[in-house]
Amino acid sequence: MRLEKCWFCSSTIYPGHGIQFVRNDAKIFRFCRSKCHKNFKMKRNPRKVKWTKAYRRLHGKDMTQDSTFELERKRNRPERYDRNVAENTLKAIKKIDKIRVAREARHHSMRMKGKKAIEQQAAAKELEQSIHLVKAPAALQEDPSLTLPKIRVTVSRSQTEDAWKNNDNAGNPLTWWHRKLNSTLSYARLVY
Amino acid sequence: MSASFTSKWSIVGRSLLGSLSNNLVGTVKTTHEVIPRSHYNSIFSQQQRTFIQMRTNLKVVDNSGAKRVMCIQALKGRRGARLGDTIIASVKEAQPRGKVKKGEVVYGVVVRAAMQRGRCDGSEIKFDDNAVVLVNKQGEPIGTRVFGPVPHELRKKKHLKILTLAEHIA
Repeated sequence: MRLEKCWFCSSTIYPGHGIQFVRNDAKIFRFCRSKCHKNFKMKRNPRKVKWTKAYRRLHGKDMTQDSTFELERKRNRPERYDRNVAENTLKAIKKIDKIRVAREARHHSMRMKGKKAIEQQAAAKELEQSIHLVKAPAALQEDPSLTLPKIRVTVSRSQTEDAWKNNDNAGNPLTWWHRKLNSTLSYARLVY
Repeated sequence: MSASFTSKWSIVGRSLLGSLSNNLVGTVKTTHEVIPRSHYNSIFSQQQRTFIQMRTNLKVVDNSGAKRVMCIQALKGRRGARLGDTIIASVKEAQPRGKVKKGEVVYGVVVRAAMQRGRCDGSEIKFDDNAVVLVNKQGEPIGTRVFGPVPHELRKKKHLKILTLAEHIA
């Protein structure tokens, strides 16, 4: 029993699955499902289709070079059957698979390392730049009663105190904006 | 494109097109060029790959001398022949001084079919074209060589000679 790889998406094809197309020069194209077969018929390049393994490898999304892939490699040398070797191989498969999964997870976490900071930065920038969508700047300036210090105090006095105590960056203008936003929103809720 | 246009609009549209057809000839060509290549391909790939039936033209992939045969009878199956089946065919094109002449009626084994055929394990196989190897009534090949890939299902059909002659077995 041999587990083949799909020509398009590189997933494993188990026996009895998929379709294979034999070109006249005897090159065999195996497909795991009709989705891959259809994409092939549409002459799509698997390197340009985002969900394929080829794309992910090419764009550094997945781990490419690792010693754990050596086990799964196709070998053209026939092995003489040996019960002990077979047993050891079966044990090794589990072990190596575990290692591979761990390494892949590490690769993913390394790749995603700076993502949260970037996202937060972008969010902060957006809040700073487009607060006027929530509240008109002129309205804020001309009528300080609109910002409702009274309600702000009554609603979130305990919270703010806690925040002052706990948060290091409570003096940050950003958090100040958050609080202001919350208070205005709660005011709106009170009005309607 | 013009076909879809007529199907969308009713008879009125058709008559309109008919009256304008002389003017349209020039424009139709340009619109065909406008169609992206991928769309063009999909039109052709939608063609149904079907059984090998009466009047199907097949390529001859041996050195018997025939180049193209036309199926005149599938020996098995109500709807036609498939990969590995035997057909009766008439030789439409032949090389000079070959073993078979143009117009002869011959037997042939379908060694490649564009229509997919299920394999014993449940997967499917299909080929680029419809191709045949000519055999005599006893099932022995007429030629001495077989070109291109052939499926291993021929072993089940007891065409071992074709398998041994073949270049590639898929």
